[in-house]
Amino acid sequence: MNEKNEQKKVGIVAYLSLIFAIVFFSGFFAKAAGWLGVLDFTVLNGDYGKIIGEGGKSFTFRGTGGYGAKDGFLFALNLIPTVMFALAVVSVVEYLGALDAARQLLTPLLRPLLGIPGSTGLALIASLQSTDAGAGMTKLLYDEKEITNDERTIFAAFQFTAGGTITNYFATGAALFALSAADGSMAVTVPLIVPFVVIMIFKVFGANLMRFYLKAASKKQ
Amino acid sequence: MEIKEKKMITDVFVDGARKGWNIGISSVMPNVMMAFVIIHALKITGILDILGKVFGPVMAVFGLPGEAATVLMGAWLSMGGGVGVAVSLFTQGVIDGAQVAILTPAIFLMGAQIQYAGRLLGAAEVESRHYGILFGICILNAFLSMFVMRFFV
Repeated sequence: MNEKNEQKKVGIVAYLSLIFAIVFFSGFFAKAAGWLGVLDFTVLNGDYGKIIGEGGKSFTFRGTGGYGAKDGFLFALNLIPTVMFALAVVSVVEYLGALDAARQLLTPLLRPLLGIPGSTGLALIASLQSTDAGAGMTKLLYDEKEITNDERTIFAAFQFTAGGTITNYFATGAALFALSAADGSMAVTVPLIVPFVVIMIFKVFGANLMRFYLKAASKKQ
Repeated sequence: MEIKEKKMITDVFVDGARKGWNIGISSVMPNVMMAFVIIHALKITGILDILGKVFGPVMAVFGLPGEAATVLMGAWLSMGGGVGVAVSLFTQGVIDGAQVAILTPAIFLMGAQIQYAGRLLGAAEVESRHYGILFGICILNAFLSMFVMRFFV
């Protein structure tokens, strides 16, 4: 693996940006009065203005009663700011080193948690950003005898369920949090980070299923 | 990994937003449009009703209508597809916001399996005899996650 990257210093800014990211997407300050709202994704994501129509009813630019491809187009358009804003924030916290901090915290946990060596930390973080990067680095780890064949299979199980997690979730998934109910309120009231945490837990769970399966299979032989 | 050059934080934000625009236009929008067309077609042909009835008993376990099975089918092909179908069913009033939340982790946990079999398992040279169990784990994860999400909505 790349030695320089392994030893890259993780400073206080990196840890702070990781904490910021967690707080920002957790919805913790979503209902906070005053300036604390600045620490919340949905507050800063804002809302569309309303168009007053017939009978004083208010509508967004999508209107009502649309269907098919045309409605799909306008509806998708209404999701795009959320996707742009979510990825912009993710880019900033990544730039500030949030993922390096996460790697630092995770490395000693990988053996007990997943049964794979700490040297896979960099590949693990990369796999959360890009499925292809994770795949390439996993092959390299095996070729360089950093991991055994069984460890590669366990690591693949971790990566295969919800691959490219951060990028896919905060790009495509963020759109789901842009949905609004008929009265204009947010339809999905669960904070953005909750399904993300559930996904991460199941990734670990899935890898452990593979781990036990391989153990059981080797005992049989 | 590329060497990071010093950039203004505002430039990083704008680059990220641009990435979001590109994904939004090249992935979210076509997927949502396709899903709207497919769901509308399934609706006017009455197939959506049939799917709702067939999958009703299974999906009810997770607090979802039978039609929600189409979200999982869409997700299996591509994550964007799953999101698109969920959005479409939501706008049709078939599922509500809480049900979208229940489906959210599942869309990713069993998402894009066909693509990733090649791009991940193939590229990392995982033994093909394990493919079956790897697919099984993802689908199991997706179903279990819907149970878990019921506690949060």
